[in-house]
Amino acid sequence: MTNKNRHFDEDLDLKVSPKLSEDLNTLFKQQFSVPPEVDRAIIDKAHQHLIPKHWRHRIFHHISLWRVAAAAAVIIFAFSLNLTQEPGPRTSRTVLVKAQAVDIDENGRVDILDAFKLARHIESAESTKTKLSPVLSTGQALVKQGWDINGDGLVDRNDVDLVALSAVRLDKNKGVL
Amino acid sequence: MDSDQELIELVNQGNPDAFEVLYRRYRDWVYRLAWRFTGNEQDALDVLQETFTYLLGKFPGFELTASMTTFLYPVVKHLSIAVRNKSRRFTSDEEILGEIAAPALKDAQGNRKELAAALTVLPDEQREVLLMRFVDDTTLQEIAKALNIPIGTVKSRLHHALKRLRHDRRTQDYFLE
Repeated sequence: MTNKNRHFDEDLDLKVSPKLSEDLNTLFKQQFSVPPEVDRAIIDKAHQHLIPKHWRHRIFHHISLWRVAAAAAVIIFAFSLNLTQEPGPRTSRTVLVKAQAVDIDENGRVDILDAFKLARHIESAESTKTKLSPVLSTGQALVKQGWDINGDGLVDRNDVDLVALSAVRLDKNKGVL
Repeated sequence: MDSDQELIELVNQGNPDAFEVLYRRYRDWVYRLAWRFTGNEQDALDVLQETFTYLLGKFPGFELTASMTTFLYPVVKHLSIAVRNKSRRFTSDEEILGEIAAPALKDAQGNRKELAAALTVLPDEQREVLLMRFVDDTTLQEIAKALNIPIGTVKSRLHHALKRLRHDRRTQDYFLE
């Protein structure tokens, strides 16, 4: 150390009052608060930077496998439900295909005459204000069980329409009971 | 509590939590220093983020050969100058000094006001060393490393800064007889 530097040291160490340091700190060491979002941004950046790429890749790969497995499980579960559940509501066309066409006049064929006969039964019931129900009418001669083609609990014009439609669309073999 | 060296070793191994500890340890110091250079809160926050982004970029493979503040000081200083230039704020160092000290001066009594006024007439490099020594508690050796100047120059600058203050009528009370 040179003499000049030693001179500086003496100046620095001996002649400065602690008050100088105190007042400088009061002037410049004010309390600050860094917003938490700034902290978050820096820490997030550190996580992105420091987690090695191959680890990130492995984590991503791991997550992907789980996703695929979960999706497969959901699909299998959905299929198993579909197979065990009763068929859901159908359109009238589907009902028509599935429903056994009813031979109203019992002549061995399902044709448009069956529809006419059913319509007449309904009209006559309406004129006498009788509500046609296959359950209530089990013992009655007017309505036979099974005339409720669409299964809605009533024998009405909708059933007539279904019989008529089945007479038109079904071939004779399928229509024959 | 882990030392800086231990934390750096952990960060080098890819541990982001260790980086967070380092960040929280030096965050306020960096922010305060940046604010001292920029005189503006928003700019100081920008510098804070950029400083730690720069530090993060050193990992893995970072080796700390001095104290953390010695490493960070020139980074904060250069980034602050860049931010000031970018924001085109042509504020002089004296104005910044006045701005920084303003809140503390509101309630300050005689001595502190006069100290703040006396600091504004110090050359930048002398004031810088004075503040590093008395506000940041940096050793002369660390100041020399941080500023990349010989320790003799540090002592010389500090000596001249103190000499000016001692001969200044407003601040001579800070010096012992």
